Amino acid sequence: MPLSEIPIKVVPASTDKPLNAPALLNEIAAMLERLVESSATESIDLKSLPLAPADYARLEEILGLGEVSAEIEAAGPTRVRETAVHGVWWVTHMNALREPTAEFIEVTYAPEILKTHPSDAAAGLATLRSRLMDAQGDQADAE
Amino acid sequence: MPSELTLGESLAARGVSRRAFLKFCASIASAMALPPSVAPAMAEAMAKAKRPSVIYLSFQECTGCLESLTRAHQASLETLIFDLVSLEYQHTIMAPSGEAAERSLHQAIEENRGKYVLIVDGAIPLGDPGYGTVAGQSFADIMTETAKGAAAILAVGTCASFGGLPKADPNPTGAVPVSHIVKDKPIVNIPGCPPIAVVMTSVVAHFLTFGKLPDLDHLNRPKAFFGDTIHDRCYRRPFYDQGKFAKTFDDAGARQGWCLYELGCKGPVTYNACATVKWNGGVSFPIESGHGCIGCSEPDFWDRGSFYQPLPMSLWTNRGKTLAAAAAAGAAIGAGAAIASRMRQRKLVEEK
Repeated sequence: MPLSEIPIKVVPASTDKPLNAPALLNEIAAMLERLVESSATESIDLKSLPLAPADYARLEEILGLGEVSAEIEAAGPTRVRETAVHGVWWVTHMNALREPTAEFIEVTYAPEILKTHPSDAAAGLATLRSRLMDAQGDQADAE
Repeated sequence: MPSELTLGESLAARGVSRRAFLKFCASIASAMALPPSVAPAMAEAMAKAKRPSVIYLSFQECTGCLESLTRAHQASLETLIFDLVSLEYQHTIMAPSGEAAERSLHQAIEENRGKYVLIVDGAIPLGDPGYGTVAGQSFADIMTETAKGAAAILAVGTCASFGGLPKADPNPTGAVPVSHIVKDKPIVNIPGCPPIAVVMTSVVAHFLTFGKLPDLDHLNRPKAFFGDTIHDRCYRRPFYDQGKFAKTFDDAGARQGWCLYELGCKGPVTYNACATVKWNGGVSFPIESGHGCIGCSEPDFWDRGSFYQPLPMSLWTNRGKTLAAAAAAGAAIGAGAAIASRMRQRKLVEEK
């Protein structure tokens, strides 16, 4: 049959069944394999993909919830959860009205946003030393 | 006066933490379809950058573009643009006025010559210099003079990008876009009536991270946001493909969210990011709210006929010689729907 005679059938999109989740989960598995073998960290931007509600449901079903759940308050809340699959994290950034602004699956030992930056640690050291000096001064005054 | 602090230091001084900034970069990277892994590197690069000086000029405009940028109802990531840059001059939101304001403009131009980013909204009237003046100087002269020392120009909104409403027929003031006057500087057009705020923020962020403007299309629009038509990314596309069209704004099809092609949607010929980035923090966009796209980011959209007449078939065939089979089928469906809709509308007018 020549190419021009192949009939065209338009299949309407169905939102009842997951469309992209199975492929995405396989991609996550491949990323996790790379993390294990070479410590390579990678992320998937969920908002850039055409995911139906059924896709999200399938991702949550297969990945599950793990031991770690953190909420960061920085220009609105950010929710960081390790899934039941160690090394696979679900990060949801929200604005001050708790509206999602970005959502990622991160395959890593720990998401960047959880870690303290070295310069912030240095600033923290200066802050702590200052507070200790103030506390010592207050104690000396009290005595 | 340009800030000597780096961007990271400026943000820290304003109480914007490194984590908040990383979150901002992640959202911008997502909006620009950059790999998510670039966000930490983006944050590092931008934190070390010096804030560029920005001069913002407003000409024949309605202030809608500035409202889009500033009227976020919360301290959103989009409004962080004002933390990324040192805004030297802007009519609506700057503190000084009168001669003090004009002195600050000239001082900013001299101190940052060759390095400042010039943002422009509004068209420029050439019909008579008196149609638009500030401190006795015509818009055209201000544009020409200020552009000389700019490193790059962002033409924000359809008026600055393509002439917009002032240029619409009969164009009584001789309005022209920025690109008609400035020929020797890199110009990025960020059209839209108004444009989506995060597009502008992303262009600035890209400039700070990579030291260059993002890839532009043939109309100098950032490809990351203007590479697809609304139709290509519309969530109602499956209904178009199935030939399910709303016939009126309140019929059963409209209530079920069917395609708005027959009600005049210009999505197939409009390049913008409304269908993906959306508006008001991603809440919705015109089609999702039940009204067809009016094509506000395209040149001369005011003069392209009614917002409520469906697109003619001729515009489809201009999209390219090769159409995928599905697109051809879609075009045929669209053409049939367009003819039916025009006949129906003509009949309604005749009956009146």
